Amino acid sequence: MSANNNPLIVIDGVPMDQEADNAPGLSSVNPNDIESFVILKDASATAIYGSRASAGVILITTKTGHRNAPLRADFSTWVSVGTRENQVSVLDADQFTAAIQSQGIENSIALLGENDTDWQDEIYRTAIGTDNNLTVTQGFDNSSFRASVGYTYQEGIVKTDDFTRKSGSLNYRHNLFNDTFKINFNIRGTVSDKNNADEGARGNSLTMDPTQPVYSGTTQYGGFWEWLDADGTPNAQSPKNPLGLLEQNNSVESIQRYIGNVKLDYDFPVEGLKANLNLGFDYGQTDGYWDVPATSASGFDDLGTTGTWNNLRRSTLADFYVNYLHEFEKPHKIDIMVGYSYQDFYRENATYQISGQGAIRETEFATTNSLLSYFTRLNYAYDNRYLVTFTYRRDGSSRFSPDNRWGNFFSGAVAWSIADEAFLRDSETISTLKLRIGYGETGQQEIGSDFGYLPVYTPGQNNVRYQFGNRFINTLRPEGYDSEIKWEESATSNIGIDYGFLNDRITGSLEYYIRKTTDVLSTVSPPAGSNLSNSLFTNIGDLENSGFEFSVNADIFQTDNFVWNVNFNATYLQNEITRLNAVEDPESPGLAVGGIRGGVGNTIQTQQVGQAQFSYLVYKQVYDSDGNPLQGVYEDLNGDGQWTDLDKRIYKNPNPDYLLGLSSYMNYKNWDFNFVFRASLGNYTYNNIASSEGNSTSLFFNGTNRNIHDSYLDTGFGEVQLWSDYYIQDASFLKMDNAVLGYNFNNLKEGEVIFRIYGSVQNAFVITDYDGLDPEISGGIDNNFYPRPRTFLLGFNVNF
Amino acid sequence: MLNKKIKFSLGIITLMLTLLLGSCEDVLDKEPITELTSEQAFENEESYEQFMAKIYGGLAINGQDLDDADIQGIDGHFSNYVRLYYNLQELSTEEAIIAWNDGTIHDLHNQVWTPANEFIAAMYYRIYFQIGLVNQFLRETTEDKLDGRGVDDALKAKIAEFRAEARFMRALSYWHGIDFFGAIPFVTEDDVVGNFFPEQKSRTEVFTFIESELKDIEPLLMAPRSNELGRADKGAAWMLLAKIYINAEVYTGTARYADAMTYINNVISGGYALGPKYNYLFLADNESNGSQNESIFSVRFDGINITGWGGTTYITHAAVGGTMDPNIFGIDGGWGGLRTTSTFVEKFEADLTGLNDGLGALSDWGLVGSATTNGWDGPDMEMYETSTDNYALYATLVAGEIKFRFDEDWGNNYGSDNNDGNLQPGGANIPIPADGVYFITMNLGNLTYTLSPFSGDTREMFHIDGQSLEIENPFDFSNGYAITKWRNVDVNGNRGVDGSGTFCDIDFPVFRLADAYLMYAEVFLRGGGGDAGTATGYINMIRERAYGNAGGNINPGALSLEFIMAERSRELYWESHRRTDLIRFNQFSENGVWPWKGGVIQGTTTAKTRDLYPIPSADIIANPNLTQNPGY
Repeated sequence: MSANNNPLIVIDGVPMDQEADNAPGLSSVNPNDIESFVILKDASATAIYGSRASAGVILITTKTGHRNAPLRADFSTWVSVGTRENQVSVLDADQFTAAIQSQGIENSIALLGENDTDWQDEIYRTAIGTDNNLTVTQGFDNSSFRASVGYTYQEGIVKTDDFTRKSGSLNYRHNLFNDTFKINFNIRGTVSDKNNADEGARGNSLTMDPTQPVYSGTTQYGGFWEWLDADGTPNAQSPKNPLGLLEQNNSVESIQRYIGNVKLDYDFPVEGLKANLNLGFDYGQTDGYWDVPATSASGFDDLGTTGTWNNLRRSTLADFYVNYLHEFEKPHKIDIMVGYSYQDFYRENATYQISGQGAIRETEFATTNSLLSYFTRLNYAYDNRYLVTFTYRRDGSSRFSPDNRWGNFFSGAVAWSIADEAFLRDSETISTLKLRIGYGETGQQEIGSDFGYLPVYTPGQNNVRYQFGNRFINTLRPEGYDSEIKWEESATSNIGIDYGFLNDRITGSLEYYIRKTTDVLSTVSPPAGSNLSNSLFTNIGDLENSGFEFSVNADIFQTDNFVWNVNFNATYLQNEITRLNAVEDPESPGLAVGGIRGGVGNTIQTQQVGQAQFSYLVYKQVYDSDGNPLQGVYEDLNGDGQWTDLDKRIYKNPNPDYLLGLSSYMNYKNWDFNFVFRASLGNYTYNNIASSEGNSTSLFFNGTNRNIHDSYLDTGFGEVQLWSDYYIQDASFLKMDNAVLGYNFNNLKEGEVIFRIYGSVQNAFVITDYDGLDPEISGGIDNNFYPRPRTFLLGFNVNF
Repeated sequence: MLNKKIKFSLGIITLMLTLLLGSCEDVLDKEPITELTSEQAFENEESYEQFMAKIYGGLAINGQDLDDADIQGIDGHFSNYVRLYYNLQELSTEEAIIAWNDGTIHDLHNQVWTPANEFIAAMYYRIYFQIGLVNQFLRETTEDKLDGRGVDDALKAKIAEFRAEARFMRALSYWHGIDFFGAIPFVTEDDVVGNFFPEQKSRTEVFTFIESELKDIEPLLMAPRSNELGRADKGAAWMLLAKIYINAEVYTGTARYADAMTYINNVISGGYALGPKYNYLFLADNESNGSQNESIFSVRFDGINITGWGGTTYITHAAVGGTMDPNIFGIDGGWGGLRTTSTFVEKFEADLTGLNDGLGALSDWGLVGSATTNGWDGPDMEMYETSTDNYALYATLVAGEIKFRFDEDWGNNYGSDNNDGNLQPGGANIPIPADGVYFITMNLGNLTYTLSPFSGDTREMFHIDGQSLEIENPFDFSNGYAITKWRNVDVNGNRGVDGSGTFCDIDFPVFRLADAYLMYAEVFLRGGGGDAGTATGYINMIRERAYGNAGGNINPGALSLEFIMAERSRELYWESHRRTDLIRFNQFSENGVWPWKGGVIQGTTTAKTRDLYPIPSADIIANPNLTQNPGY
C-alpha cells in the first residue's frame, strides 16, 4: 500500500535512484569491492537520510586504498552452472489426451497429435556463467588508489537469455595541507549487453498442446510447429510455439551505468570542526532493439515488426554539512551537525516500432523531479554510557504543490550502555548490554507521477487521432490530478536491547518496533465525476506495521584450528490498515487490488480497515465427503440463498508472520564452510496459474487445444473458479540460500600470496508445502514468475 | 589566534552555505517536460481543436497511444466506449451472445450480473471520463480564460462552436448514464477537480438537464449535414432529443411522445436520405459510399490513424470464426466470439402466407409443373387475384418448369414460347432456373407475366455453414448462427487501409435516418401524432431498400407495436439499440424469453430490476452519497 517499500541504497554517500530499472544500483557494485555493508533500521539512524529511507537504509562503503601500502593485486574468478529446480505442473501428453477425449468435442479430438512434448523442457536450459575481476591497490604518503576491472557473462535458464557485463572502477584519495583536507574520488562504470528472451515464451510453454511436435518438418514459419487455420496461415488467437518465439524473436539492449562522486573533507583550524562536501552523479542509459521476423508465425500478419527503445536516467547530488565534535570536561562529549542535501533527477524514454505493413507506433516521455533537505543533528554522550541523539529534518519535494511541499521530521534516541556501568564494567559474563529507545519520523514521496498535483495535458500519438472531415487531428487529454497531495509520513518507535555475553562471545539484540504511517500514498478509484480519471494517486489512509526482532550471534568454537560462528535472527511482523480516507464504512470490503489473469480486470486482494495489507478476498470453497471441491459451490456466508460477491470474505494474506535466518561460518585449518538458511512462515500465495488454467473449458478455445494446469485432475472444475480459496495456499518455506566450501592456501611465497579456491551452491533447496513454482513471490500472486535457478559455482581468488 | 581561526572557519561555512542555498528553494519548482501544463497547452491555438478531438475520440480510441488506457483497472481495449456500449446493449438481449470466457462477460447475456461486474463498471467509468473531459473543456474555454490568453475573435467563434458540440457530447453520455444506471452522480463544469463526493441526482433530474442542454445548444450548432463529418450538428441534437422523449416514460414516468414527434420530423426533413444498399452502411468506406447521407451521427474509425481493439475492430473481428473466411471480412483472422440466437433468426422467416393473404382473394388460376410443390399432376399452387385479370403469388419453387392453368385443367393453360414475358395459350413450359422463393404475376388482359426471384430481406446476413441454429454450449462459437453484417472491405471487396487487417475503418453509426423513420411509426402508434399513411410510407422506404424491390412492402393494417419491435431488430440489429428498445416495449426482463436468458438453455424471464444496471460497487464504496439500484 505504501508508495515505496524498497530500502534506500547508499553507495559511498550517494543515494541511488530507487526508480532506476536498468542495472539497479546494487548490481553495479562488484561484491569484491565492498568494504562494509550495513543495514540501518533504527528510526533515528534512518531519519538522517530523509524521505527515501522510510523502509530502511543499506549503507555500502566500497574499498579504498590504504596509505603507504605496497602495490597489491587481487584476482578472482568463478564459473557457475545453473539449473531449473522446479516446473509448473501441467498435464502430460497422456493426461491431456484423456482430458480432451472426455470433453467429447469432435473438432477438438480431431486435433490431437501423437507426440509427447514437454514444452517447459524445450524452453529451459542449463545456464552457464562466469565472473572475473582484477583489483589493484597501492598507497603512497599522501594518497592511495584502488582500481578494478571486471568481466561477467551470465546466461539465464530460459534459452536465448543472457548478458555480458564489463565493469571498471577507480577510487582515489588524496590528503593535503597536513591531512586537514581530504579528497576522496570514486567512479564506477558498467557496460552491459543483454539478450532478452521473448516474454511470451514462458506463458506459452504452459498452454501449448503436449501432443504436438516442436518442429513441423516443413520450412514454413521457421520450421516450428504452429496452430494454422484451414488456409495454412497462423491462427491469430492461439499460443505461438514457445521455442519459435525464443529463437525467432530478438530483443537486445546495451546498458551503460556510471556512478561517481567526489567527497571533500576539511578539518578547520578550530578543533573538532569539520566540513564535508559530497558531489555525486548517477547516469544510466539503455538502448534497445527488437524485432519479430515476417517469416515467423507471430510476425505473419504485420509482415514482421522492428522496434527500438531508449531510456536515460540522470541524477546529481550535492551534500554539504558541518560537524562540530567537542569533548569538554570529559566525560561530556557533544557532536553537532548542520547541513543540507539536494538531489535532482531526470528521466526520459522513447519507443518506436514499425511493421512490415508500414504501421508506426511511437511514444516519448521525459520528466524531472528534485529533493531538497535541511537537517541538523545533535549527539550527546556522557562517559560513553549515556547517549542522546536528536535530529530535525526539513524536506521539500518538487512533487507536491508549494502549499504541501515541505515536511518537518523530528527524531530522537537515547541509549544506555548498561554494561559500562560500574556494577557491570568488569563483568565478563555480561560484556555488552545496551538499551536503546528511539523515535523517528520520515516522509515518503516516491509516487508515480512527478506532477500529480498539477493539471497537465498529454498529447496523443498518430495512431490514435480522430477525424473531422478529411483531417486527422492528434488528441490532447487532461490528466487526473490531486492538488492536495502531500507527504506520506511514518513515525517509528523502537526499543531494543543489545547484549553480549562471555566477553562478547555471544552477542545479539532484541528489538520491538512500531511504525505508524499516515497519509499513505497509493492509487484509488476516486468517486466517479470528481476527477478526470478513474484512478488517482493520492493520500489514502493510515497503516500500522509492528514487529519483534531477535538476533543472536555466537562464536561457538574459537580455537586455533577450528572456528565456528553462528548467527540466528527471527522477526515477528504484523501489519494492519488502520484507516482508509475514502472509505468511511468499517463494514465495507475495502479497495480492490491485486490484478490476476483469467479474464479481464479481475482482482483477488483488498485493502480493508482492520486487516493486513493486500489481504485475499475470496469465497469459502465447499468440499464433498471425499474432500474434493465442488465446482461453484461456496459457503453462503450472508445466508441470502445466493452466491454473490457479498459471500466473499478475507482469508489470509501474502505477508509473512515470521522471518527467520540462520547463517553459519566454520573454519578448520585452511578449510572454511559457510551456509545460510532462510525461512518465512505464515505467508500465503494465490496460485493464479492453477486458478485460471486448471479447468476443462480452457482445453478447447477458439478452435485449438490448449494445455491446462494439473490441479484440474484434483478439482475436475469445468469452468474457471478464480475466487475459490482452494487456490490460496500456505507458502511458508525454508530455503538454503547458499552453501560455500573453500580452501585457503595461506603460506605461498612467505605469506605474500593468498590463494583461495571454493565451491558453492546457491538456492540449494526449498522446503515448502506450496505446489506452485516458488513460494517466495513478491505480492503473493503466482502468475508469470521467472523461475529461480539452482546454481553451482566454482571459483578462486588470488591476492598478490 | 583562536578568534581568527573561528572567524575564518565561520567565514568559509557561511560562504558555502549561501552559495549553495542561495537560489535553492526554486529548484523545487519544476515543470513537466513532455506533458503540458494548462498554460503551455493552450499557448498553441490548435490545442482547442485537439481537446475536442479527444472528446469525440473518447468514443473511438482507448488512450493516448495504443498501449495507453484512459480507464484503469480493465485492459485498455476492453474499456473502449463503443465496445462497452455494444456489449451492454447487445449481449443482454436476444441479438447477441459471446463465446469467450473473459471474467464475468457471460453474466451479461445470462442477465445475472452483479455490481462487481467489470464491464458494467468500465462503461460507468468511461461515461464519467467523457463527462469529465467536457467539463474540463468548458472550464478552460470560459470568456475569462480566453481573454486571459489573448484569444482573437475568429478563434473565439470557433471555440463557441466547439463548446456547443462538447455540450452535445456530454448530453449524449449523460443519456447513456441514465439509460443504463438510472439515478447517477451529477457533475458539471461548475464543480472542482479533486476528491469529493458528487451528489446523486434522480433519473428525472438528469433527464431535465439533458433536455435543457440540448435545447440551449440547438441554435448554436451548425445546420444538419453542414459540419465536418464526425462532428455534431443540429440533426444530432434533434435525434438525441427524440431519443430521450421517446423513452421518457421509462426515464421519468411521464410519456413525451408528442415532443418526440416534433424532433423526429425535424430530423426527417433535415436533408438526410437512406443509403443505396443496406450492407453498404457497414463497410469500410461507409463514409463515402452513399451511406454518409443517411448518417446523423457516427463514430469514425480508420485502420491507420484511429486504431484500437475496440470499436468496429472489435465487432468485426469478434463476429468471425468457424468456417468464415476472414478475407471476406477484410481482417487478419476472426476472434470467434459473437453470434446470435434462434429468436433473432426467426424474425427473418419470410412469412409467405401473410404476404400472399395481402395480395387479394384466392382465384382458380394456379401454377403447375416440375418446379411446383406437387409436380405436373397437381394440385396446383393457386394464385391470388390482385385486380381484374391480374393474378400474383409468392411461391417456393425448385429448379424445373411451370405453366399457368385454370381450375386444375389442361383445357385452359398458358405458357411462354420464347420465355420472354409474353404468354401464349398452350405455350411452352417456363423454366425456373434455381431453387428459391419467387414472386410471380400474370396479366391476362395483355397476356404477360413476370417472374422475379423474391430476394427477400437483404438485412438477413447469416453465416450458417458449420453453425447450428440452436445453442447447446454458449462457449462454443459454432453454436448459433454467425452474422456477416460488419465487414472491413469497401463496396468492391477491397480491404480497408490497414493492410494487415488488424484495425478496421468502418464508421459506427450512432444515429441514422432509418432509425428516425422507425421512431416516427412507433410514436404514431403510441399516440404522439402523425398519420398511418406517412408512417407506412417510411417503413416501406426502409423495406424497399432492404428487399431491393417492393416485395417487402406492408399495408397500413400491418402496422403494430409488435411489428415495430421486430422491424427495429431487423433494421438496427448489432448497432447497440436493442436493450433500450426492449425496455421501452417492456420485453427485456420480466417479459420476453430467448435462449440462455436467465442462464437456462431455453431462456426464462428475469426480475424487473434488471432493467437497470447496478452502480459499480467500487463507486458505491467510494461515494457515500450514492444509493444502489433496487435488486442489487
